[in-house]
Amino acid sequence: MTIRILLLALLTLLYAAPVQAHPHVWVTMKSELVYAEDGTVTGVRHHWAFDDMFSAFATQGLESKEKGKFTREELSELAKVNVESLKEYGYFTYAIADGKKAPLTDPQPDYWLDYNDSVLTLNFTLPFKTPVKAKELTIDIYDPTIFVDFSFDKKSPVQLVGAPQCKLDVQLPREMTFAEGKALAQIPADQSNTTMAWGAQFANKILVKCP
Amino acid sequence: MRCALLILAVLLVFGALDVTLAQPFGMSRTPAPPEIGGFTGWILAKQAEFYRMMSGTIRAAKADGSAAWTLMGISFLYGIFHAAGPGHGKAVISSYLVANDETWRRGIVLSFASAILQAFTAIALVGIAAVLLNATAKTMGDTVRVIEIVSYALIVLIGLRLLWVKGRAFLALLRPKVHDHQHAHRDHDRAHDHHHDHGHDHAHHDHHHDHAEEASAWGHAHAPEPSELAGRHWLRRGLAAIVAVGLRPCSGAIIVLVFALAQGLFWIGVASTFVMGIGTAITVAVIATIAVGARGLAGRLAKAKPGAGMILVRGLETAAAVVIVAFGALLLTGYIVSERMVGV
Repeated sequence: MTIRILLLALLTLLYAAPVQAHPHVWVTMKSELVYAEDGTVTGVRHHWAFDDMFSAFATQGLESKEKGKFTREELSELAKVNVESLKEYGYFTYAIADGKKAPLTDPQPDYWLDYNDSVLTLNFTLPFKTPVKAKELTIDIYDPTIFVDFSFDKKSPVQLVGAPQCKLDVQLPREMTFAEGKALAQIPADQSNTTMAWGAQFANKILVKCP
Repeated sequence: MRCALLILAVLLVFGALDVTLAQPFGMSRTPAPPEIGGFTGWILAKQAEFYRMMSGTIRAAKADGSAAWTLMGISFLYGIFHAAGPGHGKAVISSYLVANDETWRRGIVLSFASAILQAFTAIALVGIAAVLLNATAKTMGDTVRVIEIVSYALIVLIGLRLLWVKGRAFLALLRPKVHDHQHAHRDHDRAHDHHHDHGHDHAHHDHHHDHAEEASAWGHAHAPEPSELAGRHWLRRGLAAIVAVGLRPCSGAIIVLVFALAQGLFWIGVASTFVMGIGTAITVAVIATIAVGARGLAGRLAKAKPGAGMILVRGLETAAAVVIVAFGALLLTGYIVSERMVGV
């Protein structure tokens, strides 16, 4: 009996999470939904502030006139690399309009990075392929592999820019409590995880309801 | 009991298949119903927590030297949890030990050697690229990608070599009449290898016997060529596995090192990286020991039931070799991502 438990424990350890990584990058987001005059949503504007460790890492070796400070121009090449590499991951932004997937396209070319108080912030706008008019628009922001940990800024997480009478709701990903962590640890080891659900579970959700 | 081992063998293969099917970015974009991976989720949460604590502690160490000790504690815990979570190291090492029928002591040595090598490569990379050459994060990321390819290719090669040896032994067992000489020779050679070890290590007396008998089940007895013996010393054999697993530096360690460098505390980053390596080694060693234990049970079973038992043992070894090949191939083709360097 103990042998079986041992074997199951071994298998779980070996195979439960070979695909996953834990976050190595933390992003604090401020997002805006940009509306056109006709009341359609044209895109999502993101301002992603990276954690200090990643900011230090990303700016390593970059040339700057003043030590410890970077101008927008000095960071332009890094911004390009950042945005281009995000393409592969769908910019971690998933939109659903009235239950249907609403595709977003590549960012507008006016993206930029800035650097303040040792924090690097990436600013970019993702346009919708076709402007969206929906009674219910949901935008999820998360990394399915949780390499990047996203969370909304506490003060001003989401703004609606030029929106008609719409109701905005922002759902933060729930944080795992200590008790929860303990309870989870006691779940039999043979119940493995569906890799993807973990990331989605901790998605940041923007919910907009319009009449 | 036998049933449990059979399940293990089957699951080893299924585990590899499962990995194939799980594609990081091929998921549907609608959120799946919440399902938390109990143990895994907890480990992920823990290591993220420790990792997060590092940046604050490194900053604190600038003003207050005693924070460096706190950092070492955090680094150690991070290492322990990090190895329990993602990464292919433990899977490759464990499968390697099972396929090669190594002892738990050797498993521990391999675990530590690969984890320490991993710390070294991270330090060497940041030390040379960032400290000496003032290279950018992009250059470092590109370097890691090259190292990665070499490392994963090496895993495939190790797996293929094992598969060639163990797979043939397994097939030969299924068709006893078509027993080729060469392969019996090899197996006897392995028995001899253990004998050689016996001289240094009395604790493995039993083990030696196990294998002498296991090998005698093959029925052939030839003295191995001396040159062949020298090339088959376990540590030399294990070197490829150590390098394959330890070559690819951990992204977390690289980021911590660069961050420490930016704070003017590179040496604290170096110490932290080594402590992380020790933590990682402990976890991998524990898992490797469990794997060796399971393999040992299979060996004992084989002794009791010479026919079916041997098939099971050889099957297990073959399955372990398949797992190594699968891991290496999937990592190489990018179907599974061990760790990534994002945005740079």
